[in-house]
Amino acid sequence: MGFTPLGSARRAAEFTSREDGGATNPPRSRFIKFLAISAVLLVLTVACSQGDRSTWNPAGPVAGQQLQMFNVLVWIMVVTFVLVEGVLVYAAIRFRARPGQERPPQVHGNMPLEIAWTVIPTILIMALGIWSVIELWQLDKPPASADYVLEVTATGHQWWFEFEYADAGGGKTITTANELRVPVDTPVWVWLESDDVIHSFWIPRLAGKVDMIPTHRNRLWFQADSNEIETLPATFLGQCAEFCGLSHALMKFEVTVMEQDDYDAWVASYGQKPSLSAKGEQGQKVFNANCSSCHTTSGPDAAALVDGRVAGFLAGGNIAPAPNLTDLATRQKIAAGILDLNEDNLRDWLKNPNDIKPGNWMSARAPFYKDGENTLSDEDISAVIEYLISLK
Amino acid sequence: MATLTGVLARPSGYTGVWSWITTVDHKRIGILYGFTAFAMLLIAGLEAGVMRSQLATADSELIGPGVFNQMFTMHATAMVFNVIMPLSASFFNLIVPLAIGARDVAFPRLNALSYWLFLFGTLLLHAGFLQNQAPDAGWFSYASLTEKPYSANAGLDFWALGLLVLGTSSVAAALNFTVTIINMRAPGMGLMRMPLFIWMTLITSILLILAFPVITVGLIELTMDRNFGTHFFMPQGGGDPLLWQHLFWVFGHPEVYILILPPMGVVSEVLPAFSRKPLFGYPFMVFSGIVIGIMSWAVWSHHMFTTGLGPVANSVFTITTMLIAVPTGVKIFNWIGTMWGGAIEFKTSMLFAVGFIALFIIGGLSGVSHAVAPADSQQQDTYYIVAHIHYVLFGGSLFGIFAGIYYWGPKFTGKMFGEGLGKLHFWLMFIGMNVTFFPMHFVGMNGMPRRVYTYSAESGFQLLNSLSSLGYIILFFAFVVFIINFLRSSKNGAEAGNDPWDAPGLEWSISSPPPAYNFAKIPQVLGRDHFWIVKELAREAGQGPVQAEAHVDERTIHMPSPSYWPIIIAFGVTWIAGGILTHYALSFIGGLIAFVGVVGWGNEPASAQSDH
Amino acid sequence: MAHAVEPAPHAEEEYTTTGLNHRKLLMWVFLGSDCMFFGTLIATYMVYRGQSLNGPYPIDIINVPVTTISTFVLLCSSFAMVQALAATNRDDQKAIRIWLLATAFLGAIFIGFQIVEFNAFKNEGLTLGVNLFGASFFTLTGFHGAHVTLGVIWLLGMAVLAFKGRVGPATALDVEILGLYWHFVDIVWIIIFTLLYLIGGFDTGPLPPSGG
Repeated sequence: MGFTPLGSARRAAEFTSREDGGATNPPRSRFIKFLAISAVLLVLTVACSQGDRSTWNPAGPVAGQQLQMFNVLVWIMVVTFVLVEGVLVYAAIRFRARPGQERPPQVHGNMPLEIAWTVIPTILIMALGIWSVIELWQLDKPPASADYVLEVTATGHQWWFEFEYADAGGGKTITTANELRVPVDTPVWVWLESDDVIHSFWIPRLAGKVDMIPTHRNRLWFQADSNEIETLPATFLGQCAEFCGLSHALMKFEVTVMEQDDYDAWVASYGQKPSLSAKGEQGQKVFNANCSSCHTTSGPDAAALVDGRVAGFLAGGNIAPAPNLTDLATRQKIAAGILDLNEDNLRDWLKNPNDIKPGNWMSARAPFYKDGENTLSDEDISAVIEYLISLK
Repeated sequence: MATLTGVLARPSGYTGVWSWITTVDHKRIGILYGFTAFAMLLIAGLEAGVMRSQLATADSELIGPGVFNQMFTMHATAMVFNVIMPLSASFFNLIVPLAIGARDVAFPRLNALSYWLFLFGTLLLHAGFLQNQAPDAGWFSYASLTEKPYSANAGLDFWALGLLVLGTSSVAAALNFTVTIINMRAPGMGLMRMPLFIWMTLITSILLILAFPVITVGLIELTMDRNFGTHFFMPQGGGDPLLWQHLFWVFGHPEVYILILPPMGVVSEVLPAFSRKPLFGYPFMVFSGIVIGIMSWAVWSHHMFTTGLGPVANSVFTITTMLIAVPTGVKIFNWIGTMWGGAIEFKTSMLFAVGFIALFIIGGLSGVSHAVAPADSQQQDTYYIVAHIHYVLFGGSLFGIFAGIYYWGPKFTGKMFGEGLGKLHFWLMFIGMNVTFFPMHFVGMNGMPRRVYTYSAESGFQLLNSLSSLGYIILFFAFVVFIINFLRSSKNGAEAGNDPWDAPGLEWSISSPPPAYNFAKIPQVLGRDHFWIVKELAREAGQGPVQAEAHVDERTIHMPSPSYWPIIIAFGVTWIAGGILTHYALSFIGGLIAFVGVVGWGNEPASAQSDH
Repeated sequence: MAHAVEPAPHAEEEYTTTGLNHRKLLMWVFLGSDCMFFGTLIATYMVYRGQSLNGPYPIDIINVPVTTISTFVLLCSSFAMVQALAATNRDDQKAIRIWLLATAFLGAIFIGFQIVEFNAFKNEGLTLGVNLFGASFFTLTGFHGAHVTLGVIWLLGMAVLAFKGRVGPATALDVEILGLYWHFVDIVWIIIFTLLYLIGGFDTGPLPPSGG
């Protein structure tokens, strides 16, 4: 008549791919589907990495509390998912039209029910929200009981991280790049800045990220806990987490957590004059002639020096802010955490940095690069490498 | 018949390419939107394929960062502005007048203008590819990366100017549909009797009208920074890059509701039809939509939790973001309530609608986890966010749109889609979507940031990435199946008749495809789900099945006449923007063309005298 | 054959759900959009108040007395617009022409003031690129001026029609819609004048850093 129940015979024959309309054998096929889905979920749960850059593997209170909050949320999500999705699937199965079924009761709504399922979620959500806000404020600063907080300023550049300790210990100023050394069980307060574009400072195992925004001075804090770490010194991977241009994917850093004594020793030895072989001295000369306008090897960078480099860069000059290379040889990696520090990698990097890090400003601005290729002689380059690996 | 400013005669007639170029018929404009947007879907999908190929293996050298960065920028920009929005616009055009009992929209020529602006804006946005200078700073292009020292080529200008033109298209369309829905409903159709899809269209249109000007100003300021020496977002001149983020996201958050509300409206039409009972809790569905629209203005800084706004701001936006989950949840419960106690027929359209709910639940839940600012600081800018985006936009918007295509397709083609291929399409897309995007939740929390063109072997990201890339292949075939089904059915499908689904809306009371004038007689609307009421009354009176409204001679119903002014104005406006990239003289000429077009339009009556 | 004439009679007699004419409703909705546009430009100015790294600063540039005159001129143009609509409704053809031209003329005077003013500012060193004040000031007032200019062109077009005898009670809606636009542009200027001149016009140099 005016409305036809579930498909006329003609339509059913032409258009349903399952001739039985799913009426036969539903429970077993659904059980199999349920098993399959559960298996997938199990596999994926195992997919939570415990690796060196995973948020599931916290090594300190900030990341730990953030993970705890996330775990609470995961439970809420899973329970809600099972409940709501379960009801959905149940309704989809239970209320499938049977052949020849009449029009079902034309229910328009249920006001008490709808009010209930508006009010109750609102209350639950508000509870969740209030708890979130409380935790948020707790996490904002290191505990007041901490008697010493190490302050570091991290500045983002395209595509490397600068770390400056105004007072690393005993009043000593340190500038370094791409490897941040901190003592264990000590809150570290990081000021976050940028001289060019927006970057983001992220050490997944230690703390959620905060962005480094030009003209802003953001901050975060973290602490590495000795009872979360098996052996010291321990290395944690950091990565830039805000798209910042061509080599964003290659802008990484490392956090080396050390015993207090080892840290103090490092601070004391920073900036000591390296002992150089003859080749190293030759390398130093080449370096000073070509590289030192951007790279410092003799200790911390004065603010005015860095500002000058930034201004020169913006004016299109043959200069750019560049990693401080003091004590380079004590580092594990070069080029912002992407290459192990060794002679071969140094050579590759110096000869054609653009192959390794597309868009890098060294080969774009340094006058001795032509079309990305280093025009210094191989002898000079070897000498510079000798110099660099003597810097400790 | 010459017009005051026109040399060419006013077009008439309904055949040939010229008739499509000058059409003001909302049904044709809907088809134009639909095909253009679908072509862009395929292009943006291929861009995703390029990315998934590169990311399938660690340390891959398949695609370099230059190209990769263009890919993720254009994939997202195109999907948002050239696919989902115009697919929704396609539905607005095809359905709104039919569903409210009108013969066309309030301003047919404005309607055509918005389509041509969309087409030309899309072309301008993509023109950068021709010079290997496609935009490459991400779909939300954060300053100060977008400033000239760091983005020296013209890519970002193509992006900003293309989006400016696209913005005018969206606002023009939104103005039109707002007036149409408020002012052209058939007698008897009060606001609380409107189909829910119409409500969602209205709310979306109001959001568009209010949100686009904000991004327009942002884009203008960015263009001025890049081309006219200002420093709105340039740190060197005192500008604050964060201002861009605020402007973008004040637009951007309403924008994501613009992307999801129309598909939610579609689902709200499909579920009752195939459950054979009315939408459960219509008033709550309407009010939750309105509340979502209003609250969408209060949550934007949850995109900025990691920008150092401070604990006060982060607290406020955590709370507001959590609260917006409530009206969203209400909709899900009401949809389930619609199915509950029904007699459900799982046609392809219904599968997509239920799939929408299933997948949107997941996307919505991960969204709740983002709302908590401290937890979000680990999730932000990782693949966990990418997973959320795709569950709500692919599993949500796109599934809802496909539900609509299978539901209303027969109305406009007059042919039924093949159900076998349709179901295959659904399952491939459902499975493929989950295989592609579910692992991303994990790889993100494992430490993989987004927008990285490569990752190292030590990172351990390879397995999950390969899984995602495998899922892409499944999705690829899903789309192939759909295209085959669409082409075959359009040629050889069974006759649909006017009411293949026994559905409640007014649109089903006229033939498939509808005549040019839609309704021979403007109906008197009897209530919500008007056509069900009509059919029920016929049954009670012992009459036979209700037939489609009979056609009448088209010449007896006066309809708006075609016009060439819309495409001319669109052309002029695009050149105003394009001239900034090339020569300012071209901007001036474009302005003149647009001006002449406006004058011509103003002098041209809505319908030619001879068309009476 | 036919030349362009009034809009087809059907358009105005058409049934509308609210009783409001489509085009009038369109203008109202459009003005809502334009509100957001100007609101965002004003927000940019407000956010950047006191943030310029260098001069010239508002106190060095802004001339409140002169701009008060041009503001008054624009207000008078709104009065003229009201008169034009009244004349249209009572079919006083002569008055229609006079008042439409007066509105356009006063609007053009306002634009003239803007041009002279901006030129003077430029000579005193305020440009788009010199500082944030220049950028936000010129962008905001520039777009407002563009809106006024488009309004003046529209008014002149309407005046041309009036001289052809085609403006009258049957087409009063067209004049009303133009009036809505014109008054909106005037109101936006009142807001701009208050914020950028009466309040912000006395800003001297960077504001002291605020507490939070």
